[in-house]
Amino acid sequence: MSDTATTLTTAAFSRVLRWSIAALALAIAPHIPHLAPWTLLLAGSAAVLRLWIDAKGRELPAKWLRILIAFAALLGVLHSYRTLNGIEAGTALLVVMAGMKLLETRNKRDLTVIIFLAYFALFAAFLYDQQILLLPYLLGCTWLLTTTLMRLHHSQMPGLRAAGIDTGKMLLQALPLAALLFLLVPRLPGQFWSVPAREQAITGLSEEMTPGDVSELSLSSAVAFRAHFEGELPPPRERYWRGPVLQQFDGRTWRRLAMPQPRQSIVAEGRHYDYRITLEPQERNWIFALDMATGWDQNRAVRNADLLLIARQTRFSVLTSFQLRSATSYRTSEELSPVMRQFTTFIPTNNNPRTVALAQQMRAAAADDISFIQNVLRLFNTDEFYYTLQPPALGDNAVDDFMFDTRRGFCEHYASAFTVMMRAAGIPARVVTGYQGGEYNPIGDYLIVRQADAHAWTEVWEAGRGWRRVDPTAAIAPERIERGLQAAMGENEPVPGRMLGNNALLSQLRLAWDAANTFWNNQVVQFSADQQRWLLRQLHLDDERWEYLGIGLGLALAAFFGALSLYLAWQFRSAPLPPARAAFAKLSRRFAALDLARQDHEGPRDYITRLARAQPALAAQLQQIGALYIALEYETAAPPDALRRLQRAIRQLPLPRASRRAQRSPAR
Amino acid sequence: MFAAIARRLSALSRRWARRHGIDASPCTLRARRIYILPTGLGFAYGLMLLAMLAGAMNYANNLALGLALLLGSLGLTAMHHCHRNLHGLVIRAAGADPVFAGQSARFRLILENTASTPRAELVVENEHHISTPLQLPAGSSVETQLQIPATHRGRLPLDQFRISTFHPLGLFRAWTYLHMDTHCTVYPRQAADNDLLPVTPMPAPGERHGTPGEEEFAGLRPYQPGDSPRRIDWKAYAREQGLQVKQHAGAQTQPELLDFDALTGMDTEARLSQLCRWVEDANGRDRRYALKLPGVNIALGSGSAHRQRCLTALALFGL
Repeated sequence: MSDTATTLTTAAFSRVLRWSIAALALAIAPHIPHLAPWTLLLAGSAAVLRLWIDAKGRELPAKWLRILIAFAALLGVLHSYRTLNGIEAGTALLVVMAGMKLLETRNKRDLTVIIFLAYFALFAAFLYDQQILLLPYLLGCTWLLTTTLMRLHHSQMPGLRAAGIDTGKMLLQALPLAALLFLLVPRLPGQFWSVPAREQAITGLSEEMTPGDVSELSLSSAVAFRAHFEGELPPPRERYWRGPVLQQFDGRTWRRLAMPQPRQSIVAEGRHYDYRITLEPQERNWIFALDMATGWDQNRAVRNADLLLIARQTRFSVLTSFQLRSATSYRTSEELSPVMRQFTTFIPTNNNPRTVALAQQMRAAAADDISFIQNVLRLFNTDEFYYTLQPPALGDNAVDDFMFDTRRGFCEHYASAFTVMMRAAGIPARVVTGYQGGEYNPIGDYLIVRQADAHAWTEVWEAGRGWRRVDPTAAIAPERIERGLQAAMGENEPVPGRMLGNNALLSQLRLAWDAANTFWNNQVVQFSADQQRWLLRQLHLDDERWEYLGIGLGLALAAFFGALSLYLAWQFRSAPLPPARAAFAKLSRRFAALDLARQDHEGPRDYITRLARAQPALAAQLQQIGALYIALEYETAAPPDALRRLQRAIRQLPLPRASRRAQRSPAR
Repeated sequence: MFAAIARRLSALSRRWARRHGIDASPCTLRARRIYILPTGLGFAYGLMLLAMLAGAMNYANNLALGLALLLGSLGLTAMHHCHRNLHGLVIRAAGADPVFAGQSARFRLILENTASTPRAELVVENEHHISTPLQLPAGSSVETQLQIPATHRGRLPLDQFRISTFHPLGLFRAWTYLHMDTHCTVYPRQAADNDLLPVTPMPAPGERHGTPGEEEFAGLRPYQPGDSPRRIDWKAYAREQGLQVKQHAGAQTQPELLDFDALTGMDTEARLSQLCRWVEDANGRDRRYALKLPGVNIALGSGSAHRQRCLTALALFGL
């Protein structure tokens, strides 16, 4: 099986080498941002060196030198990435080795390997990025690579255009099968080969909160997640997306409780919402469910003691979707344990004394806890407190400074201060972080929640009802809750996306683009076993058995082979005969029934003579047909209506049935 | 070891291919006789696809999976195209010109593409020779030659040959074996230049004797089929006087009898070689000669048809 039997000429090799290198460079281009620069430099120099060698007709580097460089490059990758496993190290290795391969490329087979490496680079690009925008680029690269593959395996090296059309057709023919297979190939539930996580800084909520942190997040218009509701959307004031709960307070920073807590069961009241949440990649496995998650896939997620929904996987390295059910009205059935009560009423002594004193004084004046809470909220609302994204820095007693001096803050300042006051008054309270609000996209019918929607609020313990949400920000800036950050901020505040938001057309375009992306993400990027099950249900295969997918795969392949065979048979059909020859062939077919078909060796004149001898009655007509055919086929100037007359003569040639039978019997 | 297995498989597949006997000429390739297998590069492509599939599944990455599936489908499409590139091709054996033993027999084969789509990169080969890749535009035909070294005199069969293609992507090779009933006549190897001369010059009454080289121009006569082109008076033809053949007096005066039995003290093959030499020499000098072999008598004559008849008799003597 030697497929290098036909070698390329030097000129053709040079051309196809240049094309292969160009295609390889295009395939590697998407990796440039996340590759170690030295790997690109190495591969680039190898390519330049190879082109120089080719142009000058020099010898390739010695084998020992190539092996040495390749080994050094391998060690270099190991040094840069600490591993050879995983996407990043794998991509770096691919790039470096493609460069090394170029230095030993001398024939068709080597060039083919280069093309294969480039295909793999395209594949790796998808592992990094599944954007809709990248798709046309990568498909174009696939086309170019395949075209180059075809050209280099063709001894005549067809032009780019001709080969491009041919491979384009082949790709189009392959596309339906690829689409069917895409729908039918079973999806695996998880990774079967663990690889190191990608190092990538992604903005998102953190595990602690120091007033000032969330407002930095608020400057990011990056999308945190999207939620697609079945049926009615929750009203804006109920759009609280629950994140981590912070219960430990050191006087300045709020942290998550680092000890096991008793679980609490939730009794949902009132209506519930069903929705699908699609989270952007993030460092943690928090699922920001609407308020209180009451229904989820037990295999994929769990609700912890903080009432936060946590995915069983460790992080979301790609877009991840969950089908959830939430309630916005609920109560906790258990009582608060003494230990937890102690934790959630603790404030460090000798810290923020003025706030503590104020809280204790207000509690003493109030009739009960409820009216105390109302009074504190009224204080925020009526006193000179301001809601701003640019709060002044705070000192050691951060809460005191905020409450009595600066009085300017963002949601975390208010949540922090409010929680401290509750605790000072002996009411169990804690800070909850998460997101609040979300922009409705009418084109795609879903909510977009951005990092800028990050929020912090307070939960207080109410005997007999459990944890209840109190949002002090709603008291100081109700429009933040009702209409979002932009509406709550003054003109000079640096709110992300304000420019876009103010222009109706741009805003519409932005929403349309987001809807297209979301459709792409949900239907293609996120296509999973769930959608496959839905597909089977649509085909009325309610009994969700994976055998159906197998049968479907088999049918898809059979249909593909059948359709392609038919198409190619049509493509390769015999070219039609010229009209005169077709007419003469028809004559032969008509006489075939009398065993008088034209023989392969027989010229037209001989044939007509034989026919005339066998059918004397038709001799005159046959001679005329012969003369017309010979004139049409062999003479330079045939009479203008000769073809028509020939066709008519053959058509009108009588072949009586009786004579046909009479002729046939003696012949046998 | 792999080479041995490959040879073994190749021999097996040839025997299998031969089960239907000799192919008619022209022969249209049908699907049942076309074999197709991935090439080494095709296997490498398959391995690459497997790696991609594993990676895409591992990362649950649908786009990467999509690319792998697209490339896989592309491979299958290329396989179809490769097969179709042969399917329906018409092959005709167009004979072979006789050669002397020791030369290469050149069998002419005509590949005909009756389809309305071009066929590309068709390679005709046997153990001895491989053609350059042939391109057949729609509705065209192309002639190629397959060379076989002719070692012995006699009738050399074309035997088995293969038509294969790697088109379009080099990932698959489709091939078929053909056996066509066509032969090349192999004349005996000419003996080296030596002192042996035809020992029996035939005395013919009323003919002048002359020494070789002193042939005199004796006039023109009308061309007859079989006359050597070298004896045609081309200048006369250019003057539009029709085809005239120059007659030389010397040529007519020295007829030779090339006699097998006159060559003694040599084995049969050596005698045939010597006779072959004499035929060529006599033909080169436009002599008239007769050939006498045991059981074969070819009367006096000259010209290319006569030469061919004599050489063929020598080639097939005793076979």
